[in-house]
Formats: sequence, C-alpha cells, structure tokens
Amino acid sequence: MTSANFESLKAGDTIEGPAFAVSRESIRLFCDASLDYNPLHLDDDYMKGDFGKTNFGGIIMHGMNNFGLITRMLTDWAAPAGAIHRRLETRWLKPVKPGDTIRPAGTIKAKQVTAKSRWVVVDVAVQNQRGETVAAGEAMLEFPTS
Amino acid sequence: MMAQAENSAAAPFETDFWKDAKLRKVWDEIIPGEPRKTLPYKLTQEAITLYCRAVGETNPLYLDEAAAKAGPYGGLIAPPAIHILLMFACTPADDWMRSPGTVNAGQSWSYNIPARPGDTITLQARALDKFIKRERLFVVHDNVFFNQHGDVICSGRGQTIRPM
Repeated sequence: MTSANFESLKAGDTIEGPAFAVSRESIRLFCDASLDYNPLHLDDDYMKGDFGKTNFGGIIMHGMNNFGLITRMLTDWAAPAGAIHRRLETRWLKPVKPGDTIRPAGTIKAKQVTAKSRWVVVDVAVQNQRGETVAAGEAMLEFPTS
Repeated sequence: MMAQAENSAAAPFETDFWKDAKLRKVWDEIIPGEPRKTLPYKLTQEAITLYCRAVGETNPLYLDEAAAKAGPYGGLIAPPAIHILLMFACTPADDWMRSPGTVNAGQSWSYNIPARPGDTITLQARALDKFIKRERLFVVHDNVFFNQHGDVICSGRGQTIRPM
C-alpha cells in the first residue's frame, strides 16, 4: 500500500482496506445505524419475490454499506497525511449477501494541481471472496498546500 | 439502540417501512424539482458511535474526545458518510425513499465540512429527474445537508430504482 504523500504518489499506486465479514447481524446493525429498514435488508419472505427480472433469493446488504467501507479506507489512508476526503461516487454491480466477505481497494488514477490546492483522483472498488467486483467508483481527495 | 433514540423531540422512528407505504408517492406522482419534506435532526455521539460500529470505523477523530480535541478539527466529528444516516433521520415516514423495494443504483457525494455531535442538521432535498430504462423506473434525487450555522456539510445525488 502506498503512503499518502502527494509528491511521491503516482498513477497505479494502490490503497487497501480491511476485509469486512457480512452477516445477518452486520446487516441488521447497519439498519439500526442508518435507519434504513427497507425490507430488502430484513425480510427473507419478501426477498423470495421477483424485482422485475431480478430475484435476489434472500436479504441483501445495503449498497451504502459498501460506500461506508470505501469511505473508511480512504479516510484512514488520508487523514494521517492531513489530506481530506472530498468526493465519492459509486455504483453497485452485484448484490452482497450474508456469508460474503468483502474488501475495498483503491488505485491512484490522477493528480491535479489547481489554483489553490492539490487533488488526487482514486479509482475505488469493493470485491467479494470470489474476486467479483460488487461496487465500483471514483473518489477525490484534497491535499492542502498549507 | 437506534440512531435516533436520543432525539426526544422527534416521534419514535418507525422501523416498519410497510406501515406508511400507502402514504408515499409512487414513481408516477414524484415531481422532479419539487422539494421533499424534511425534518431537522440533532446528531448525537450515540448515533455516530453506532454508525462507526456498523462499518468498523475506529478513527479516534470520531470516537475519542481527548484525541479529537488535539486533532485538526479541535473536537469530535462524524465520518463523512454519516449522510447515510442523515438521509433517513432528516426525512419523514411518508418520504418515498422509504418505499419497500426501493433499490439504490448508485450515489455521488461531495464533502465540505464535517458534521459534529450536537449539530442540528437540516436537509434540502428533491427529486431532480425521473426516467425509464430497460423497463425500470428510475428517480434521480439530490440533497444538501447543512449544520445549524447554515454551513454546507455535504451534498449528493443518487439514483434509485422505484418499486413497481
């Protein structure tokens, strides 16, 4: 994993986050923490039904749980260097279910110096234990000049 | 153990999203541009701590008052993604984001200043657009969260697939 130093960072450098074990309990805890009690995350009977052409077959993790894990990775990486997490865009590619283990990672994409600051763009993704990408997106971190 | 437990001024948070389902707008009724009803929400340390547990956050800036006081923000702050909670904390039970079967298709958020425990958070939100793609009904929502001083905390937009 690369260190958060603007001068030495280069495209292709990587950031890694810790693994996260998904369980019915972790999903329930996320319901309580987010106040998102959508039955997608709680009700197995409801999830036996079809959603258009999709059938999930059981409850799924909140997509925003991925978002929270990516954020944790980025802030843990950036904060010690005085860098600030400024933007995160994600889309969900595959459902995550109890029993899955997911892990966020990032790859430095570009650096940009602007009139008043310095910025790093990072490609981010979350993969499950089968190596499938379940979420992907892009983040932007600010490395203030003073 | 819910995130809104200490918000004594507010009614208890209804965790059964079916209960008010009939009060919520369906895709046909959602008007792009029309503001959503929102509620001020007092962010507590308890709610921040619970969110941190749910995603495994251990940063002392969020959890350790002494360490946070000595840090760059001069006190405890919430993790940037606390807007995940704020979206539901700042909207009423009949908000269409709570319709059972709402599927989140992706979001983007920009961060200005951190939320802090004790902040009274307000939300300005609306549907911005709606469309049909591959037989699915989409709504684009946009949102800005403010603190009690009128400072922007964060802004974001997302797409949800609406239940049919």
